[in-house]
Parts: sequence; C-alpha cells; structure tokens
Amino acid sequence: MRFWFLLLFLSGTVFGGENPVDLNYKIHAVGENREARDDSVFALGLPLTSFGKDRGRLEGEVRGRAGPFSLQATGTVSEQEGSQPSSRALVNQAYFDFGEGAIRGSAGKKILSYDVGYGFRPLDFLQREARLLVLPPALEGVNSVALERFSAERAVGLIVANPGNGREPDPKDDGSAAARYYQRAGSTDLHATARYSERFRLEAGAAFSAVPHESLELHGSALYQQRSERTVPTTSGNLLDPANALQTDTLKSAAKALAGFTWTLESGWSLLGEAWYDESAPGANDWQRLAAQARARNALALVPGVPAAAVAGSLAASTRMFQLPSLSRRAALARIAWTDQGAHGWSASLDALRSLDDGGYTVTAAIAWESDKLRLDAGVRTFGGRPESAFGLLPERGLVFVGATFSF
Amino acid sequence: MSKVFVLLMLLSFSCRAEDVKALLKEADAFRLTAETLRVDTEVRVFKGEQPDKTRLYAVYVKPDRRSLVVFRSPSERGQKMLMLGDDFWLVLPSSQRPLRITPMQKLLGDASTGDIASLTWAEDYDGRVVGEATVGGKPCLKLDIAGQRKGVSYPRIVLYLAKSDRRPMAAELYVASDKLAKEAEFRFGQVDGRTVVTQMILTDRIQRERRTEVHYLARTPKTLSDEYYNPAFLVRADINQ
Repeated sequence: MRFWFLLLFLSGTVFGGENPVDLNYKIHAVGENREARDDSVFALGLPLTSFGKDRGRLEGEVRGRAGPFSLQATGTVSEQEGSQPSSRALVNQAYFDFGEGAIRGSAGKKILSYDVGYGFRPLDFLQREARLLVLPPALEGVNSVALERFSAERAVGLIVANPGNGREPDPKDDGSAAARYYQRAGSTDLHATARYSERFRLEAGAAFSAVPHESLELHGSALYQQRSERTVPTTSGNLLDPANALQTDTLKSAAKALAGFTWTLESGWSLLGEAWYDESAPGANDWQRLAAQARARNALALVPGVPAAAVAGSLAASTRMFQLPSLSRRAALARIAWTDQGAHGWSASLDALRSLDDGGYTVTAAIAWESDKLRLDAGVRTFGGRPESAFGLLPERGLVFVGATFSF
Repeated sequence: MSKVFVLLMLLSFSCRAEDVKALLKEADAFRLTAETLRVDTEVRVFKGEQPDKTRLYAVYVKPDRRSLVVFRSPSERGQKMLMLGDDFWLVLPSSQRPLRITPMQKLLGDASTGDIASLTWAEDYDGRVVGEATVGGKPCLKLDIAGQRKGVSYPRIVLYLAKSDRRPMAAELYVASDKLAKEAEFRFGQVDGRTVVTQMILTDRIQRERRTEVHYLARTPKTLSDEYYNPAFLVRADINQ
C-alpha cells in the first residue's frame, strides 16, 4: 500500500502541473443487527456461518489522482459477533490513463462496471458487481489493460482483463478479452459487448437505455453465453461431505435478460420497476432439494455414530448457495424512492424483490439524511415467502442496518 | 382584406419573436462570457437564514447546448453530469458507469444541476414581451418565455431585463405544472472590465424556507475536445478536477 501512495505523490510531482495531487477521504461506519431464523432447517450449521450474527465495520477510504495516475485504497476494521476483530488494507483501484484525443487507454486495477440495470446486470461480466447489498463496501477493481476510441457519439473499447490468468477459482479473476461498443442514437443509448474466457467461452450481449418522455426512462439488456455454470445442491449420495455439499454444473449455453423502467415525478418521488431472467441461477426445484437435503442431514444427526460436527459442517457448507449472485431464475423488483425537495437533505426508499420462481421475497425500507460532509443511513430488510423458496429458506429473518459516512 | 390582416399579424408576431431572441442573446452575454469556457461555481444552500450546505462544481460549457458538470465537493467528489441538448447522463463514483437520466431526475436534489449547467436562454426559450416593470430600481422589460425543448429545467420563465443594457434583473421560474417554483435575482460584478452576473439568488416558492445562492467564482476560457462530451468517456478520470 505504501508503494502506491509513494507512486501517487511522485507522479503528482512529475505530471501534475497546477494541481499536482488531488486527494479526498471518506470514513464509513456500518452496523448490522441480524436476526437468525431460529426454526431454520440449517440451524445446526449456523454457528459455523455468519448468518444471524451482528457485525460492524469501519472503513477509511482515500481516493486521489495525480497526473495520469489514479488511486483508491481502503482500510477496513471489521467485527462480527463471536469472532475476533479483523482488519485489511486494499488497493481498490490503481491505474494509469494514457493516450490523447480520440484514442485513450488505461492500465492497472480499475472498476469496470457495465450495463444499464439496477437490480440485475447481465452484461456486467467483468466487474461482477454484487447487487442489492445494503451499504456495500467500496468495489474492488479488475486488473486490466484497455484501449478505447471515442468520437462525439460513439465509443469502441478493447479490454484484456486479468492478463496472464486462465480459469481461476473465482470467475472474477478469470483471464478474458472483451470488446465494448457504445452508440448514442438521439434519446437512446445502445451498448453491445462480447467477451471470450476459458470458463464461459464466448459471451455476447446488448443493452439499451432510452428516455421517451421527460419523466420516463426505459432500459433493457440481454446476454447469451456459449457456456455457463449453475451451482446447485449435490447430487452425490454423501450428504456429510462439506466439500461437496454443492456442485457446479456446466450448462451448454445460457441466456440472461433484463427489462425495466424508471418514472420520476416533479415532487421528488420516483418508481423503478425491473424484471429479469437468469438461466444460470438455481431454480425452485434446486431450493426444494437443498431443503430436503438439510432435513436429511438433520435426520442423520440422530443416527448413532454420525458425528455432529460432520452434520453441522455439511449444513453450513450448503448455505453457501445463498451467497450466489442470483437466487432466482425469474425475479421482479419494484422500488419507490423519495428525495426531499426542501433543504432538509432527506431521502427514503422502499424496495420489494419477488422471486417469480418460488414465491420468495425480500423487502427493504431505507432512509438517509445528508448534510455538507455527513451522510447517515438507516434501514430494515426482511426476507420471507414460501417456506421452500430461496428467501423463505434463508437462515435469517432480516436485518436492521445503520451507516454513517463522513467525507472530507 | 382578412388575409392581409392575418399576414400582417404573422409578420408582427415573427418580428416580435425575433426581437425576443435578440433580447435573450443580449441577456445571455451577462452570464456566459464566451461560447466555450469553464465556470467554477459555488452553491450555498440556506435553510431560513442559516447556511446549510456548500457545494462546488466545475461546469464546462460548449456550443450546441453541451455542458459537463464535475462535482467537486468532498461528499460528491467523482460525480459528473453531462447535458447534451435534451439528453442527460450521471456518473456516480461508486459504480463508474454512465446512467442515462430523465429531465425530471436532473431537477431532483438540493441544488438542481440544471440551475448550474444552463447558462443561456436564447437557445432554449422563445416568447414575447408582455409589459414593463421596475426591478431593483431599474426600468425593465417583462418577458414571458416558454421552453422550446423538453429538457429545459423550467418550461416557463417570466424574465425581467433592464431596458438600459438588457441585463437580467430577475426571473420567475415555473415548473411543468405551471406552478411558480423559484424566483431568481441576479447580482453583478466587474470581471476584466466587463459587467457579468456574479451571483444568482434563488428563492424557493414551494419550499419557502429554502434559499440557494449560486456564485460564479471564475470563468476561464477552456475547450474540452468532443470526446469529453461522449457519455462513455465520463467514466475516465482524465478531466482535471
């Protein structure tokens, strides 16, 4: 980390000119009170997981730019109920910009978020930004080299992500080559992208965002994958092996799609609606199988000679399925938000996400207040629905969260 | 006879519209001193008489209704808003992707970025002179102008221009429902021997306790090349903040 700061200051001295080093800072504190689902079929394994455990984190961020060099770094101290506090320092972004005029490039670790959606982004296959988290930590960029050509209404880019990597344990670290195309066509933005990686082979998709009315924005995106993966409960007979509680199936091909709109009123109210399809997500039958296997593991705990630790371990391992980016193949999201048009700095939102596969839902209500340098957030999220839906099975009933961000 | 009368009426209306355009151009010259420049802007929001927030912006203006707003306050640093005619985009630092936003979304928030980024009337409005009034002790022409494009922040403005030099003295800003949203008052200073608007004071007529002062701190000749006004370019950090 010290190396990056030294480089930032040196590059500021060499390249900076009138504004050698431009730094700004944030301190971000987050607390979450999580309520476990006491009657969960995973209850025996939950002590080995983070479900239902209160937690907090204090994050310090420095973001800066000196000449062509940009840096974003965070230091985080975290504490979770029942665990020792931990800390970590992370360089979220560190990259150089180069080029002039229409041809530009960048090299280093950089955030590469993409796509037009809010709740789901099929085309975000490089950054893989987690969606719908409450008060999420700062994103971590992707090691990449990018070359782009811009005109007033068009942009074409080539990106090599994680150069030198092949197929890695985490798809985010996979080596890949991608192309991006952007075209502005009146009140519509058109995006097209393609990527090749060893894991997914060819992926290609397109997106649009259009404003047909002063209050209405429409958006949509779709992705085709030549190959894909789906994580599902194990099909092996051994239910007590934590390493094989879940399995990743290869799909010959898969499609993902999203359609949505935002409607904004003069009064400060806005409505967002989205629906999406993700063929790589587990289906209703997968969640039912996960629940059935959890019940079978609980039954094994009563069998003499079966170690309780093995049952707890395999139950805990099976809950990793709740950490997948999409818990449902078909879902719909509605979000009503309000921004105070007075001088009071208040905003509020109510989100409802419904799984159309299995009848599960999550509802989040949040409120925020912002002044010159301070932002305060608070909210509550609850999970529910049919008992064998993804959100109905989730080993937490909900959480209450608070956050404070001080910028200077 | 009646055809001649209609023709004369049309000609009269056309001349009057042209006159209004000319008046608006003269008024614009007090706010935008060159076609292409960077305007450093400070927005002070007051709650009653108490200062509540201060925000800093760098606004890069280019002909053909192109504006790029770079947010420079600590809590907003990294945000950028691009206005190309009636089209608008926003980039938030947390996500680094350009979001197309509606004209209505542009109006939300403490200080409407439309108030900061829109520095001309002649390109966007047309209307007629409806009378005369005295504002700040100066005899003024009273203009009632209407937005000619869907992306304007205020579809209707009643504008008071000094009869002597056409400087804007005051404005009544109406939202789409034709409700009076804000009243603007302009203050002037001498910059490089030229009289220019140095402050625009906006008094909110809906949230009555709210007042916003827009201070134009500096106007610097600055030309950003066309690619800076491409929404896909916004995620790059090349703009010197």
